[in-house]
Amino acid sequence: MLTELLQSTDAGGFLIIQDAAGFSGRHLLKSFINAALNREEAVHVLGFEVSEEELKEGLKGSNIQRLHFHNAYADPLGWTDNPAFTVHQFRLEQLTHLVKQTSHPKPATLVIDSLSWILRHISPPAVCQTLQQLRKGGAVKAIIGLLHTDMHQRGTVGSVCHLATSVITVAPGMKGDEAVAKITKRSKSGKVMQDEEIFSLKEDLTVVVQSRPSQPGPKQTDLEEQETDPTANLTFNLRLSDTEREAKEKLALPFVFSKEKKTALLHSGPGSGRILYEPDANDDYDQDDPDDDLDV
Amino acid sequence: MFTELNSILNTTPDSFTQGEFILVSDRQSDASFLIHHFLSLYLRARCKVWFLGLVQSFNHYSAVSQRLGVSLAQAKEKGQLVFLEGLQESLSVLIPQETNTGSQAMDFLRDPSVGLKSLYEFVQSSMSRSGGTGEGTDGAEEWGPPVLLVDDLSVLLSLGVSVGAVLDLSHYCRATICSQLQGNVVMLARCDGEEEEDDGDDEGSERLLKGLTHQCSLTLHVQGLPTGFCRDIHGQSRVPSRRCLISQSSFLQSSVQHCGQKLFIWTSTHI
Repeated sequence: MLTELLQSTDAGGFLIIQDAAGFSGRHLLKSFINAALNREEAVHVLGFEVSEEELKEGLKGSNIQRLHFHNAYADPLGWTDNPAFTVHQFRLEQLTHLVKQTSHPKPATLVIDSLSWILRHISPPAVCQTLQQLRKGGAVKAIIGLLHTDMHQRGTVGSVCHLATSVITVAPGMKGDEAVAKITKRSKSGKVMQDEEIFSLKEDLTVVVQSRPSQPGPKQTDLEEQETDPTANLTFNLRLSDTEREAKEKLALPFVFSKEKKTALLHSGPGSGRILYEPDANDDYDQDDPDDDLDV
Repeated sequence: MFTELNSILNTTPDSFTQGEFILVSDRQSDASFLIHHFLSLYLRARCKVWFLGLVQSFNHYSAVSQRLGVSLAQAKEKGQLVFLEGLQESLSVLIPQETNTGSQAMDFLRDPSVGLKSLYEFVQSSMSRSGGTGEGTDGAEEWGPPVLLVDDLSVLLSLGVSVGAVLDLSHYCRATICSQLQGNVVMLARCDGEEEEDDGDDEGSERLLKGLTHQCSLTLHVQGLPTGFCRDIHGQSRVPSRRCLISQSSFLQSSVQHCGQKLFIWTSTHI
């Protein structure tokens, strides 16, 4: 699904890339910018968080002429005399004017780096209103925003993401150069699709989707414990030599009946007392052995 | 300057990455030894250093630097070190006197809600006065790239400044010093309490730390050992690096000794 989103040309789309302090979503954002430039679209970037050089690092080629960077990094609050773009200019009229300044046949894609910066200075309802107006306005074809989820309350994040048609949450993956993307996509018919993919980024900012993450199985590599030998490292000897083992197995235990013992007990040997029995006429002499049913 | 830390971070006084924003943070521990490390490193590298000392007096840093082999008084005299003594300046704001020649830097103490624009303007005008690249006005000494050290940012929170204002200050310092002047910025931020998954922004120092982590290019995080106090090992440091695509972390075990700091790598894990 990640590849589809990268190649998507739907109008009116609003994509949010969510990240946290442990892993930056900016590299994925640059992949989206790269994909849009490769489709010969114009891209306008509102850069609050990183400088132009840092954002353009890795983006090469003649495509870069279609990338228009609006410098909101140097002076976003108007602390100097002539700021290029301040956070208070984040309004429909000013943004529309900004985008229309560069004439281009196709409507442009607007990239916001980052929404968190704007949300810190402008109230969430105003930001949501501007974003919604931009989507419906027609000046921009699509909007892509970067959002740091750990910088805001959950309600704020939820409100902004509610406006989005797709949300990608990035997190570090199991291996070093991989990352996990949780994707939620809302289509126009109202259907919501969710997916989770492992991806990695190459040097030229193309995304390589590895696979779906499997169920987190038991980590077998380093959790196998070796059976420890309890008879090792003792000051006394618990082991048996071969002769000792043989003698042990030969030993007859006192209360276990073997066949010889049984016959010796039941049938007394010569010299011991014998019982002579002559039945009367009234005796009920049964020839069967009454102990036959004993399981001894 | 601790040579072991230099080798871990691949820096030497002769070669270090320019344009870096380094965040030094700690949790239930004391990371100020890292500030002393960077102070002596950049002075040895012949950079021009601006030091915003908000928690200790100049004499304190001077005494510690002496043990690390660097003389702050000399650096100050030569013009290599510009020291803003926050404690002294704040006195002049809180107890106004007639012979007040104090700068506007600590004016935010009068009204913390105004923000830290005056503090930033103090740093920025001081840097531009000296040419930005650190050249001496009389051409006597030429210094390297400018470096700003701040000790520490969390104290601004306890003075009533909002988290947003502190993040704005760090943003502007980074935009001016790192990007424009190709210098370095090192800031210390402290946290007490356990690391929690908190929903809102009630805990100011946690939110400040997260915001600074997003802005910086390198983080050095010091925390106490999870197993408690130990005689030989006093803490562990985590070095998540954002230089590469995915963060890498190294764990170091450290021990603070009387006349210096011994650092040794215990394990290096990939996160």
